[in-house]
Amino acid sequence: MKHRWIAGGLVLVALFVTMTQAQELPNAKAVYETTCAACHATGAAGAPRTGDVSAWAARFDKGITALYASAIKGTGAMPPRGGNPSLTDAQVMAAVNYIAGLSAKPGASASAERKSAKPVETAKGGAPVAAEAAKGGAPVAADAAKGKLVYQATCAACHSSGLAGAPKLGDVAAWAPRVKAGTQAVYANAIKGKGAMPPKGGNASLPDADLRAAVEYMLGQARVETAAAKPSASPVPAVQTPLAGPATAASAPAAPMPERAVQAQESADPNSFNRLLPAPARRNRPPIEDGIHDPASPGTALLQPPLRSFQSLPRSNLGNYVDWVAALGSKRIQPRWDVRDPNAQAAVMDLNIVREVKGSMNDVVFPHKQHTEWLDCSNCHPAIFKPQKGANQISMAAIMLGQQCGVCHGKVAFPISECRLCHARQKSVEARTTGGGKP
Amino acid sequence: MSKGWRQVLVCATLAAGVMLLSGGVHVARAEYGDVVMNNYADGAGMRPVVFPHWFHRVRFRCKVCHTDLGFKFKAGGNEINMLKIIDGQYCGACHNGMVAWSVENCDLCHSAKPGTPTQAHESTINLLGRSAMPAITAPAAGLTTARPATGDKK
Repeated sequence: MKHRWIAGGLVLVALFVTMTQAQELPNAKAVYETTCAACHATGAAGAPRTGDVSAWAARFDKGITALYASAIKGTGAMPPRGGNPSLTDAQVMAAVNYIAGLSAKPGASASAERKSAKPVETAKGGAPVAAEAAKGGAPVAADAAKGKLVYQATCAACHSSGLAGAPKLGDVAAWAPRVKAGTQAVYANAIKGKGAMPPKGGNASLPDADLRAAVEYMLGQARVETAAAKPSASPVPAVQTPLAGPATAASAPAAPMPERAVQAQESADPNSFNRLLPAPARRNRPPIEDGIHDPASPGTALLQPPLRSFQSLPRSNLGNYVDWVAALGSKRIQPRWDVRDPNAQAAVMDLNIVREVKGSMNDVVFPHKQHTEWLDCSNCHPAIFKPQKGANQISMAAIMLGQQCGVCHGKVAFPISECRLCHARQKSVEARTTGGGKP
Repeated sequence: MSKGWRQVLVCATLAAGVMLLSGGVHVARAEYGDVVMNNYADGAGMRPVVFPHWFHRVRFRCKVCHTDLGFKFKAGGNEINMLKIIDGQYCGACHNGMVAWSVENCDLCHSAKPGTPTQAHESTINLLGRSAMPAITAPAAGLTTARPATGDKK
């Protein structure tokens, strides 16, 4: 009986393997088109163009294994897995093969194939990174001055301003989970790249020791304020954690220390910028940590994290931090106009309505076009807005309470704090000097 | 569960705890426009529903749900229940195993923390209600009717 189960399992595995192999070719093209083509079709950010035999020749000479490894780990300006962390190793390698097929010299492909027969050691679990990290773990902590220099030269581009979701230098709250994870973990991420961060912050030539110094400098900055604010209570963590080896790093998160985290927040510089605003690193959190979804629910972990969807969309400053109108206009998203018919087209009406408003505020330009791309006429007319010139009294107070434009703006369409997206047309000089367009 | 995931989970719960304890300027950080529906769920012993607006607008224009399927523009204002959904109304127009996954995946929708009130998350009304006006559930209704439309600006 047991043997039959095992045999059945083997058959299933074999079937699965053949199926995945059979699907590999179309997959590779799809992966290339959705992920790689953004740069490799155009040569953006210095990426070698697909089909450009001379640009690829040097890379093929190093062997396809090396190419796989760089594609998975990222190299130069290229983020790991081309910026699409949901790709499996196999998918990335398939895409590399696909590009290789289009870009190799006719004679060269054979040697590339031969080299590809070797197993991919570097791709699996970042073994070399772990080895390097272990090597660098015990010796002296790199000196802070050097770390600062490296930080200024390479890391500050993002980490000083919080660009692309990078935790800002000295932002204790944003760094707290990283401090907790330990230097080792942060250092490993800095080498491999993480999220929007390219490997080694995009400076591939940076020696590991320098990178480590920079990591320790930045972690130190996040800790200094905590320690400085409570010197008598807990001087220990500030000294201890920089030297934390893998063992402490692993055990740290399990320790119950919410109180310490609270202190970290409270003792943040009272004069810091945007003290009460959510840090960029806290935007678009995955469901499991967004505070509304129940992490204990079995479904929560299956839901798509917003960032996985948003990373390919044009960004904005508020709301979902996505410019939905631009996303639709540029066809980055192609939402259906009909539940079942993917070819149904929206009935777009291009008509701007200008509303002159009180006071010094710019007049409102209402574009029917952007609205009719998403909505049907009957969504707004006649229940919310009478389709008649002069028949609608509109006020910001009503909008803030969810009426009129506020039925969508402030709930799901861009929020009303984006005043100038609506109040877009400057008043004429006479109108401004006579106190607005209204008597 | 791998160690990495466990770390993420622990960090997440810790972070959530921190936010709650620290007075909660932003207690939850779910997506702008996510709608929590808790008309009947808590009472029935289910987790409330979180509807991710963003996920659906990537795939459908507003018109599809708000015209063709008849969803009113009001969080919790549609009195949706499972019977209607199974009959193919509201969510059931797509979540039927043909356009989208079907209703037996209870946990994919019913995934909010128990007790989360009905809301359009991060909406202006919600933010106003949280800080200044505790009972703002139906104040706006009178606003437009109280003020008759007296002409306007062109």
